[in-house]
Amino acid sequence: MLRHSLTLFAGIALPLLASGQGNNTLTVYTHPSFAAEWGPGPGVKEAFEHQCDCTLEYVVLDSGGDILQRLRLEGNSTDADVVLGLDTGTMETARQTGLLAPHSIALESLDLPIDWQDSLFVPYDWGYFAFVYDTEQLPNPPKSLEELVNAPEELQIIIQDPRTSTPGLGLLLWMKAVYGEQAGEKWQALSDNILTTTKSWSDGYFSLFMNGEAPMILSYSTSPAYHMAVDKTDRYQAAEFDEGHYLQVEVAALVEPSEQKALARDFLQFMLTADFQRHIPLKNVMYPAIDLGDELPEVFDRLIQPDNTLFIDPATVAEKRKSWLDEWLNAMIP
Amino acid sequence: MRQFPFGSTQAPLSHPGWQIGPGLIIAGSLLALTIAGLAALLWQAHLPEVAELWQNRYLGNVIRFTIWQATLSTALSLVLGLLIALALARQPRFRGRSLLLRMMELSLVLPTIVAVSGLVGVYGRHGWLTSVVEHWTTVRWNLYGLNGIVLAHVFFNAPLAGRILLQALESVPAPRRRVASQLGLTGWWLWRTLDWPAVRRVLPGIAALVFTLCFTSFAIVMTLGGGPASTTLEVAIYQSLRFEFDFGRAALLAIVQLAICGAIWLFMVRRGLSANLSPQRSFSETIRRPDGQGITRLRDAALLVCIALFLLLPLAAILLQGLPGLVTVAVDGGTSLADLAEATLRSFAIALPAGAFSVLSALLVLALAGRGGPHLARLSSVATAVPLMVPPIVLGTGLFLLLRRSLGHSSQGLALVALINGLMALPFVTQLLKGPLAGLDQATAQQADQLGVLGWYRWRWLHWPRLKRPLALAMAYGTGLSLGDFGVIALFGTPGQPTVPVLLYQQLGSYRMELAAGTALWLLTLLLLVFATFNLPGYRKRKQSRHQNDALNTLAEARHA
Amino acid sequence: MLDVKNLTFRYPDTETTWRFTFQVDHGQCIAINGPSGSGKSTLLNLLAGFLTPESGTIHWQSRLLNDLPPWDRPVTSLFQEHNLFEHLDVQTNIGLGMHPGLKLSAEQKQAISRGLASVGMAGFESRMPGDLSGGQRQRVALLRALLRDQPILLLDEPLTGLDAEACTQLRSLLLRHKAAGKVLVLASHDAEDRKILADKQLNL
Repeated sequence: MLRHSLTLFAGIALPLLASGQGNNTLTVYTHPSFAAEWGPGPGVKEAFEHQCDCTLEYVVLDSGGDILQRLRLEGNSTDADVVLGLDTGTMETARQTGLLAPHSIALESLDLPIDWQDSLFVPYDWGYFAFVYDTEQLPNPPKSLEELVNAPEELQIIIQDPRTSTPGLGLLLWMKAVYGEQAGEKWQALSDNILTTTKSWSDGYFSLFMNGEAPMILSYSTSPAYHMAVDKTDRYQAAEFDEGHYLQVEVAALVEPSEQKALARDFLQFMLTADFQRHIPLKNVMYPAIDLGDELPEVFDRLIQPDNTLFIDPATVAEKRKSWLDEWLNAMIP
Repeated sequence: MRQFPFGSTQAPLSHPGWQIGPGLIIAGSLLALTIAGLAALLWQAHLPEVAELWQNRYLGNVIRFTIWQATLSTALSLVLGLLIALALARQPRFRGRSLLLRMMELSLVLPTIVAVSGLVGVYGRHGWLTSVVEHWTTVRWNLYGLNGIVLAHVFFNAPLAGRILLQALESVPAPRRRVASQLGLTGWWLWRTLDWPAVRRVLPGIAALVFTLCFTSFAIVMTLGGGPASTTLEVAIYQSLRFEFDFGRAALLAIVQLAICGAIWLFMVRRGLSANLSPQRSFSETIRRPDGQGITRLRDAALLVCIALFLLLPLAAILLQGLPGLVTVAVDGGTSLADLAEATLRSFAIALPAGAFSVLSALLVLALAGRGGPHLARLSSVATAVPLMVPPIVLGTGLFLLLRRSLGHSSQGLALVALINGLMALPFVTQLLKGPLAGLDQATAQQADQLGVLGWYRWRWLHWPRLKRPLALAMAYGTGLSLGDFGVIALFGTPGQPTVPVLLYQQLGSYRMELAAGTALWLLTLLLLVFATFNLPGYRKRKQSRHQNDALNTLAEARHA
Repeated sequence: MLDVKNLTFRYPDTETTWRFTFQVDHGQCIAINGPSGSGKSTLLNLLAGFLTPESGTIHWQSRLLNDLPPWDRPVTSLFQEHNLFEHLDVQTNIGLGMHPGLKLSAEQKQAISRGLASVGMAGFESRMPGDLSGGQRQRVALLRALLRDQPILLLDEPLTGLDAEACTQLRSLLLRHKAAGKVLVLASHDAEDRKILADKQLNL
C-alpha cells in the first residue's frame, strides 16, 4: 500500500518537474470510454508503441464536444497530434475550425454500411442507435419507430437530451430521417411515452434503466453484445425497427499544427489494422471499422442487423441542427 | 516593569494587513477569475443581442422555470431543515442522533448520479416506497417532473440547512439558555427569545446558498425533470458552449445567472451581517431545553425517524445495488481491486489538500469580513459564492484560457483540480465557519485587545479552542465535496489515472454497471468515513482539554529545560 | 502622572455630553463618584481605549495616549464581571496577561502559582472559570492585573457582590499595589471601598 502511494505521489509530482515532452511522443486527445482501463485505449497504446518506437499519450476529455472545444481554445498552440472520438454529429464543427489536416491515407479497407470518402476524418468504429429493452419487463417490444410513436402511454421509455448527449442527438436525427417535415408532430405523439430525458447516456442507463424504471432506453444496437459476452445474460436486447436505424460513425483526425504529422499518419494508418480494431468490439462495444473476419466476437452475430441504414450528411446536420432542435423543443414544451 | 508601549509588536501576524490582505487576495482572485472566464468567452465571440432574452420564448421559459423550481426547492429545504434542527436541538439524547447527523452531512457531497440512483430506487416508478404505497393506498405518485426535482433538491439541501441551523441553535449562549430553561419558556416565546435570534444570523446565508445550488442544478433537473420543459439556465449554457459553440450566448446566459444569484446574495448578506454581541460564557455544558419533554418529545422522535428514513432509504438502495459489485471486486482482487485502491489514494491526494485549502481560504476571507468594514464584508461574502453561480464549464474555460501558457501537462491538472475543488467548497465552508467565528463576544474581545492577544495569538487562544469542531466539520465538507467531484476533474484533461468518481464514470461508459454500482457504494463508504473521522474531535473533547493543560505544562517547562 | 484634560464623549443619538478633567500621581487612587448612568464606566472605557473621545487629551508621563490602541496603553481594566476567558483555565487566563502568546518562563509560571497561593487558591491552575465562585473569579482577574504589571489600574465596581472576606483580601492586594507606585482609578458605589482605597475624589 505504501509503495502504491509513493508511486502515486511521484506520478503527480514528477511531471511537474519534467513537463517538456519527448520528441517521439504522440499526443492523442480522446474521451474516457476510449482511454479507460476497460476501453480499447490501453491495448491500442501497447500495440502501437510496440511497432512505432514512440510514446503514445492520451489526454482524456469529457466528451467529443470537449475535445473539440479544447482544440478550439488552444488553436495553433495545441499539444494534440491526433484527435480521436469525434463523431458524425461533431465533425462538421471540427472541420470549420480549420485546425485539422488531410489524412491522405487509403480508405479501401473500411467496412462501413455507407460509402466513406472524407479527406479529414478517418472512421475507427461505428454503430446504430437503437432502443435497448429489458426482455423480462417487455416481452414484445415495438417493431417500428411508428409503433413506438403510437404506443399506449403504459410503454415508457428513457431517452437522452439532444442538447447534451450524442445518442440524444442521434434520435433527433433518426426521427428527422424517417419523418422529415412531420418530425414535430411525431415527437408530440411520442412525448407521452417518454418517462424522462436525461443529460447523458450514463445517467439514464445507470440511474434509471438498471433500476427498472422503464423497460426501454435509447442506446446502441451493440449494447446487448456486452451484456451477452461479459455479463453472460440475454436479458437486454435491442429492438429492431422496420424503418431502419440511424448510423453513428466515430472518427479520428490529424491536427494541423502538429509537429509529428508523420507519426500521426502512421497512427491513423495503424487505426485501420486488426491490431487496433480487435480492441473495438468488446472494449468500445461498437462495430470495428474494418472487416475483422473470425476475430469478430461471436455475440456480434446475434445483434440486430438493420436492413436500412439511415444517415444524414454531416454538413446538412451542422447547418440544420439548430432549427431541428427548436422544432423538437416546440413539440416537447406544451 | 515592561516596556511601554508594548503589545502590537509582540504578536505575530497582528498587523491589520495580515487580517485583510490574504482574504482580499482570495476574494479578489475569485472575482477576477469569474470576470476573466466570461471575458475570455466574449473575446472569442461577441455578446449577442440582449433582447434575445425576452424575445426568445424558449429562453424566457427557461429563466422562469429555473427561478420557480429554485424558489420552491429552497423554501421547502429551509422549512424542513429548520424542523430537523429544532427537533435535534430539543432532543440532544435522541438515539442514533450522531448517525443521523452523519447522514445529513453525507447527502450533499454525494455525486449526483449516485444520489439519483438511490432516490430512484426508493421513490421512482418502481421504487420500494412507491410500490409499497401504491399497493396499500390509492395514492399515485410520479417522480418525474417538478416533484422529482424538488424531492432531490430537498434531499440534497435540507440536511445541509439543518446541519448549519443546528450549529447556530447550539451556539446560543448558556446564560440565555439557562434563563429560558428556568422560566420554562416554550412555544412561541422560546422561539422568540432563544431560537429565532440564533437562527436569524445564519438563515439568509443558507437561503442564498441553497437557492444558488438549486438554481444552478443540472443533471438532477434533467434526469428527474421528465423532459425539456424542465430546463435550467445551466443546461442552456452547457448547450451553447458544448454543442453549439456559441460562446457569446453562453456568456450572456452566464451573466444572467450571475446577476440573479448575485442579487439574491447581496440582498441576503445585507440582512445577515449583525454580529453576535452576547457574552458566550461557556460553550460545553448541555443545558436542557424546557420544551423537549412529553408530547413534543414523541413528535420530535417521529419527525426524526421520518427524516432518517427519507435520507437513509436511498443510501440503503445504493448499498443494495452496490454490494454485489463491491463483494466481487473484494473477493476477486486483481486489477479491479488495485484500480479501486489507486483511485482511492489519488482521490484523497486531491481531496485532503482541497479541503485544507478551502478551510484556510474561508478563514482568511472571514477574517476580511470581520475586520474590513461592511463593504469588504459584503464583497467577501459574495465572492466566496461566485464559484457556485458561474457554471463550472465557464469557469473552467476561463481558467484554461488564463493558465494555458503556464499549464505544462495534464498531471499539473491534478493540483489545479485540488485548487478549484477547494474554491468550489468555499461557499459551504464559509457558511459553516461564519457563525462560530463571529461568536466572540464583546467582553472577551475587549479583554483580548487590552492584553494584546492579537494576530496569531488571538487565533491560537481565542478562536481555535472554540472552532475545533466547526473546523473539523468544515474540513470534512471540503474534503467530501472534492472526493465526490466529477465535474471539475473532467474539465482538466485527466490522464489515464482516474479518481474514484472518474473511475465510476469510466465503468459506466464501458457498461460495467455492477462494478460501477460497487464503486458508487465504495465512494459512499469513503465519504462516510471522512465525516466520521473529522467528527471524532467532538467525542473526545473532555479528554482533550486535559491534554491541553498537560501540553501547556510541558511547553512552559521545556523552555527552561 | 495620569493627566486627563477636557475629555469629552457623547453616545450617538443622545444629548448628554460628558466632560472629564483630573490628575492622579504615582501611588495614588482616585475614586470616581456619581449615581448610575453618570458616566463612570464610560470614563474607564475611554481611558482603556475601548471608546474614542470626541475631544480632549489623556497623558501619561507627558505622553499622549489618545491615538494608541488598547493593547499599547499602559492600563489594565478590572470589571465587576466578565474578566476571564471562559474557555481557558486559570493558569492560561493569568498567563495571557503576562505574555499574549503564553510564552512563559519558569519564573513567570512560578509567579502565577505563588500568586494563586497568596490569595488562597493554591493548586487552582487548571480549573476552568466556570467552576469558580464569584470571589475566586475576581481574585484570579485581579491577580492577572497585578502580574501584568501595568502602571495604571482601572477598577469598575471590582468588589461589588463579593463576600466580606474576599473584599478584605482584594482590598489589601490593591493597597499593596498602590504602595508600589501604581495609579488606581476606581469607580465604586461602595463607600467603604472609597474610604479605604481612595486618596482623592472626582464627583461627576
